[in-house]
Amino acid sequence: MSEKLQLTEIEFPLWDEESIQLINRIQPHGVLLVLEEPDLKILQASTNTFSVFGIAAEELVSRSLEDILDFYQVERIKLGLTENNFDLLNPMKIWLRVKGDEYIVFDGIFHRDRDKQLILELEPALTQENIPFLSFYHLARASINRLAKTSKLQDCGQAIVQEVRKVTGFDRVILYKFEDDGHGVVIAEEKLDSMEAYLGLHFPESDIPKAARKLFCSNWIRTIPDTHAKPVELFPPINPNNIRPLNLTHATLRSASACHLKYLQNMEVGASLTVSLIKEDKLWGLIACHHRSPKYVSYELRKACEFLGQMIFAEISATEETEDYDYNLHIASVRSQLLEYMSQAENWIEGLFTREPNLLELVDARGAAVYFNSEWITIGQVPKQENLNVIVQWLKHQLQDEEAFYTNTLPLVFPEAEIYQSIASGLLAIPIADKSYILWFRPEVIQTTNWGGNPHEAFEVSQENDSVHLSPRQSFQLWQETVRGKSLPWKQVEIKAAIALRKATVELVLRQAEALSQLASDLERSNAELKKFAYVASHDLQEPLNQVANYVQLLEMRYQEQLDEDAKEFISYAVSGVSLMQTLIDDVLAYSKVDRQNVEFQPVDLEVALKRALGGLQGRISETGATISYDALPTVLADNTQMLQLFQNLIGNAIKFRSDKPPVIHIGVSPLEDAWLLSVKDNGIGIDPQFSDRIFVIFQRLHTRDEYSGTGMGLAICKKIVDCHRGDIWVASELGQGATFYFTIPAGGKKYEYRHGRKTQNHFPSGRQ
Amino acid sequence: MSTGTAEKLKTIFLVEDNKADVRLVEEALKCSSIPNQVLSVRNGIDAIAFLRQEGEFMDAPHPDLILLDLNLPKKDGREVLAEIKADPQLRRIPVVILTTSKNEEDICHSYDLHVNCYITKSRNLSQLFQIVKGIEEFWLSTVTLPN
Repeated sequence: MSEKLQLTEIEFPLWDEESIQLINRIQPHGVLLVLEEPDLKILQASTNTFSVFGIAAEELVSRSLEDILDFYQVERIKLGLTENNFDLLNPMKIWLRVKGDEYIVFDGIFHRDRDKQLILELEPALTQENIPFLSFYHLARASINRLAKTSKLQDCGQAIVQEVRKVTGFDRVILYKFEDDGHGVVIAEEKLDSMEAYLGLHFPESDIPKAARKLFCSNWIRTIPDTHAKPVELFPPINPNNIRPLNLTHATLRSASACHLKYLQNMEVGASLTVSLIKEDKLWGLIACHHRSPKYVSYELRKACEFLGQMIFAEISATEETEDYDYNLHIASVRSQLLEYMSQAENWIEGLFTREPNLLELVDARGAAVYFNSEWITIGQVPKQENLNVIVQWLKHQLQDEEAFYTNTLPLVFPEAEIYQSIASGLLAIPIADKSYILWFRPEVIQTTNWGGNPHEAFEVSQENDSVHLSPRQSFQLWQETVRGKSLPWKQVEIKAAIALRKATVELVLRQAEALSQLASDLERSNAELKKFAYVASHDLQEPLNQVANYVQLLEMRYQEQLDEDAKEFISYAVSGVSLMQTLIDDVLAYSKVDRQNVEFQPVDLEVALKRALGGLQGRISETGATISYDALPTVLADNTQMLQLFQNLIGNAIKFRSDKPPVIHIGVSPLEDAWLLSVKDNGIGIDPQFSDRIFVIFQRLHTRDEYSGTGMGLAICKKIVDCHRGDIWVASELGQGATFYFTIPAGGKKYEYRHGRKTQNHFPSGRQ
Repeated sequence: MSTGTAEKLKTIFLVEDNKADVRLVEEALKCSSIPNQVLSVRNGIDAIAFLRQEGEFMDAPHPDLILLDLNLPKKDGREVLAEIKADPQLRRIPVVILTTSKNEEDICHSYDLHVNCYITKSRNLSQLFQIVKGIEEFWLSTVTLPN
């Protein structure tokens, strides 16, 4: 009985690291002896010694190597061991006499295990397969020459598998490359025509689990001459010297795990040879050789394959690096151009978008978006702005303090992205400032992965005799899987480029912010100095002026009798000149005091402010018989004193510039979208429209002082007050037709005030005195 | 000036850097009904020395009223006011700030320092004379002060 299970649900008792490394059995085609140094006493022996050379393991144990080998060979071994270089020693041809003159020739391979125990493995030497070194050299040379003519990874791989198959005669040789996520792909294959092709197939990570891969890293070459052979035990099973099971990690004869053997059997592999390809201390891939029937490969030939693999692989690495190198160069040049554009452009973001190459090219994206100061600037294919906003919110949590976030399966990690996965299955994002990001997008690439069998059912659990066994899948037939919501992956060099851009941007943003704050503090300082100057100047100017006025008046008072009419007229001119100067200074001081920094924003009931202003003007109102009406006025966020001053100046002007009729003045209000529009309408002399801008400029007057007194500061102060409240002020008038001054005050908390205004309006209809 | 009555001669101490303004106050007080003498210094350091009868002011009389300007050389009126009001020997003497400044900050600050009153000088001479007269009458005859 057997049932299929999801891979993730299964634990792998046979595949964990310990069990792989502690398999204490060997393959039966050779013999393993554990020797005690220095006299080479046999401590343990594999239990197949009798079948191989006619002496039982029990008999061998506690005898010395000298008892089974001739003196000359033992001396050579002892000499070799003192050199302490197994690479020079291995393999050593060892002749073992079976009976009479009949000898068996072995390849003797020495190594020490983790516990420093000396291990001698004897593999039958098949001399006919030995390759003389020189011909091997020629083979490698020819392969490398072939490689030199090609620069593509594919061709290099093909060359490897062809050469290895030529040298070894395996039915099938494949080049297997590990992808970043751990699964493997067959990138080159050379095989018998009759065999099923594996080229292009993907194999799930579980086919060569982590523990096995670790083993491949330390054992660069592994051979299993017969996948059906029954493994043999050691006698005694435990090393009598250190009372520990023997560690066979580096033994060439070490038996493969039952699960791996089963896997090979299911693939109909009778014998296998595996060469590890290591790049920068990492398992890059494997050269895997499969034979349908048992096949023994001699030690020398295996070493030759390993050598060949390394030689050719060096070429592959170089090719890979050249490809990387060219792309790196390209990216570096795009990056430096972008940085240049950024620093040249008035706004650095423009530098990323408006010229070629642009932001997209830096990381080979199809869409890009910059979120800065709560604004989006995009290029290419990007999700809608509302979606971008959601992505940014989500990103904040993903990034934490990371320099970059990237995924090529956005819908998988962020399910809301499914609706726009066609343009944004890939996302690369960098934070550039607080709540500011650069995002790149890659479209979905609907990929069809050809698996060697169904990766979701890579293992089966079978139950036999009340015990549960885990066994690899039976079928290695093509199994297709369509992958959606996935883009091409972001390359490391692209991510690095994004991070480099981030650093540059952060610096730039910081520099610009610094420059801005420098400017702001300069402005603040000069503003403060200006205000201080205005205050001191007006105060210090007033004192001497007062002095002149006072003494001229004292003169007039004390010497009234002695002065004639001319003298009195001169004195009156002097006094009125000084008095005008005093008023001017007062107005300049008042103007300098109107400043946004001094504005105390608070809810101001404009009706109260208006009434107070009218109170201040009471004398002139009754003098001129003015009629004043007003709408129900709202409450706004403003500076109370300034609102009062504003009304006082505008209404004061309306009275001052009256026609020969008594003044009729109305203060009106109407709501705009985000502000209140207030108006002060009069029936006075009006203003020629050509002067409607000029009147708001400091010291600008349209009349002589004889006609109308004043310094020309009133409306300038009004304009400054309205400016400080971020409003506008203007006049609508025709000469002789009266004038209406309009100004706006932004409605902070608009809804409340609007309701409030309406309600009040219902209670108090307009046109009230 | 003095009319020779039993009334004690009142001493008004004026702290004012501008000679012209000193003269103006003197002129205003000339026609006063209360016998008085106006003594004046022109900076804040001298003002404190005068009040504490130090150095050249050893023989200075104890004033009945202090008229203090705010903007003075060496030590300004605000500091002088603070020192007077912190000194148990001096703090009962009424202090009137008489200045051109209408600055709200100056006014508040002065009252915070317990000034007795703050008066802005008028630009109109007759009004100024009225004010000075008013000060004098109020502080030297209307109010009751500790002996």
